Amino acid sequence: MTAPALSVNDLSVWFENGSSRVPVVDHISFSINPGDATGLVGESGCGKTMTAMAILGLLPATGIRVRAACIEVNGKDIYNLNATQRRAVLGRDIAMIFQQPATALDPVFTIGQQVGAVYRRHIGGNKQHVRKTMLNALESVGFSQAGEIAAAYPHQLSGGMRQLAMIAMATVCKPAVIIADEPTTALDNSTRALILQQLERLQTQHQAAILFISHDLTVVSQICRDVMVMYCGRLMETTDCQSLFAHARHPYSAGLLSCIPRISDKRPAPINSIPGQRPTAAGLPPGCHFAPRCTRAEAQCRISVPELDDENGRGTACFRPL
Amino acid sequence: MNTSGKNTRASLLEIRGLSLSFHQRKQVAVDRVSLNIATGSTLGLVGASGSGKSSIARAILRLVNPDSGDVLFKGKSIYRMNPQELKTTRQRIQLVFQEPSVSLSPRRTVEQTLLEPLQHFAIGDTNYRNEKIRQTLHTVGMDQSILRRYPHQFSSGQQQRIAIARALVTEPDLLIADEAVSSLDVSIQAQILQLIQGLQKESGITFLFISHDLAVIRQIADDVAVMYQGQLLEQSPADQFFSGPTHPYSKSLLSFAEGKTPSGWPGERWHLERTRQSTGNTSTCVFSGFCQDKMPVCERLEPAMHDIQHKNRDASGPYCVKCHLYDEVKTDDH
Repeated sequence: MTAPALSVNDLSVWFENGSSRVPVVDHISFSINPGDATGLVGESGCGKTMTAMAILGLLPATGIRVRAACIEVNGKDIYNLNATQRRAVLGRDIAMIFQQPATALDPVFTIGQQVGAVYRRHIGGNKQHVRKTMLNALESVGFSQAGEIAAAYPHQLSGGMRQLAMIAMATVCKPAVIIADEPTTALDNSTRALILQQLERLQTQHQAAILFISHDLTVVSQICRDVMVMYCGRLMETTDCQSLFAHARHPYSAGLLSCIPRISDKRPAPINSIPGQRPTAAGLPPGCHFAPRCTRAEAQCRISVPELDDENGRGTACFRPL
Repeated sequence: MNTSGKNTRASLLEIRGLSLSFHQRKQVAVDRVSLNIATGSTLGLVGASGSGKSSIARAILRLVNPDSGDVLFKGKSIYRMNPQELKTTRQRIQLVFQEPSVSLSPRRTVEQTLLEPLQHFAIGDTNYRNEKIRQTLHTVGMDQSILRRYPHQFSSGQQQRIAIARALVTEPDLLIADEAVSSLDVSIQAQILQLIQGLQKESGITFLFISHDLAVIRQIADDVAVMYQGQLLEQSPADQFFSGPTHPYSKSLLSFAEGKTPSGWPGERWHLERTRQSTGNTSTCVFSGFCQDKMPVCERLEPAMHDIQHKNRDASGPYCVKCHLYDEVKTDDH
């Protein structure tokens, strides 16, 4: 058995304001092996991005609390790090691709300067070497005119090209773990295909472990083998994509799947939706958070919290799974 | 209005040879586009970002002035209307935008937001207005207890419902939804799509639904129109489009939507070229640089819009494609 590239054990994140405590991420654990991609799926506000930020240690110190039993990259602890140690790890061992390349890239530096800076900071070398590595990184994400791109400022590139440049920047040091937070959400279909191709290449060529965060189950199924469905800060179901699409066991996963419009020859039946509204983080119901919207909920669901049971690699946090 | 035979439904909106450019005509946003939207139907307008979809929406409302062409609403030219006529027409055409958190004023309560169009168009008295607002909120599945609340107090799905209510309150005949569900989560997107489908069933409202998401278009559109670099490449009934689009560009769009990359797709070159500005060059087909089915004629001559209605007599809306592949075949081989 291979050792996981990323392992997260019992991670919780909550907002704290005086005596009130609002949970955002609620005791989640998972691991990803090298060369694997795992999707973290859920609606906006369910805690996906907070999970990513907590893993990277990027959450501000005031008002937000993070607690975990351990977070490890290739067996190396990245949870108990001071600021200096963390700076040495981020970008080298674990990197992030953000949703909005337009805001994640610095508008006053060229693409080449920004990609080169990451490499120089972590690995270093003389000017020629850094430049060569930077150009290689740009070429490897598919830019044939790497020199031209390196000299360009972010505003001179289209959204898709900026996202490719972000990927080059995140991968120039060949990190073991890449967290991609909605990397394709702002892009149209043809551009999305290009980005997904690049993420696949990172898996196969560099054996990178990818945590792919998205609200779009369709995209996740295109790139990830495994998937975790999150709702109100808790993992509801963890399984492989095929099984999820074939037979979702958690009523919430099933509901999400039925909401996805599909392309078919025949005119589709009117779309389904999950009844009710998602509760706010401050007003979470006791028991299973999904119980108020669930058609299968019983008295027990409203009182106690179902554990994420794990049988044959499939986990379902539900008393009455489908 | 409906004079062209039993196969064509009456058009609520007719766009005729619309052209629109920016920067002293250097950048062509919309290039000689003709479109029909039948009363009570939903037209899905698809295309990559920057293909001119939103510019068409703006031209329909006369928010921009086109270089040439015309937009007919109920058979009447929007560009030849006097200010009074234009005002009444705008009451009948409403717009819903992509990002509800941006399109709703953060300083206005729901009540103020919904009241404004009624005041602007001087519709009804106070009693009528209050009743209308209550009714419209009910239509979009919200309760009148929210009237005093501000946009930030709602989730994005609720905000989009309020934005739709704002558009519906004047009882429009045509609702233009410009990427109205693109930024929403699937579960909320599904609720909004349900709402739109329900509205059409109940009030027979006509929709121009702009989206880059073909799966969403499949869910609600009766007809599909495909834009590329400002040009309309294909307009087809949805069933025909999704069982086999006619234009090579539509085919690649559909395979992208199904998660496949068409063979021989130019990848990066596609992005570099596409960011170049369209210059309205009329001597070639706009798609010839990337087309897998390119023929010599495609680089010499701009294709004409071919009507392929006659091959499918059941088709209810226009069924046409702008591609040399559909040039009248003179002999079978050459």
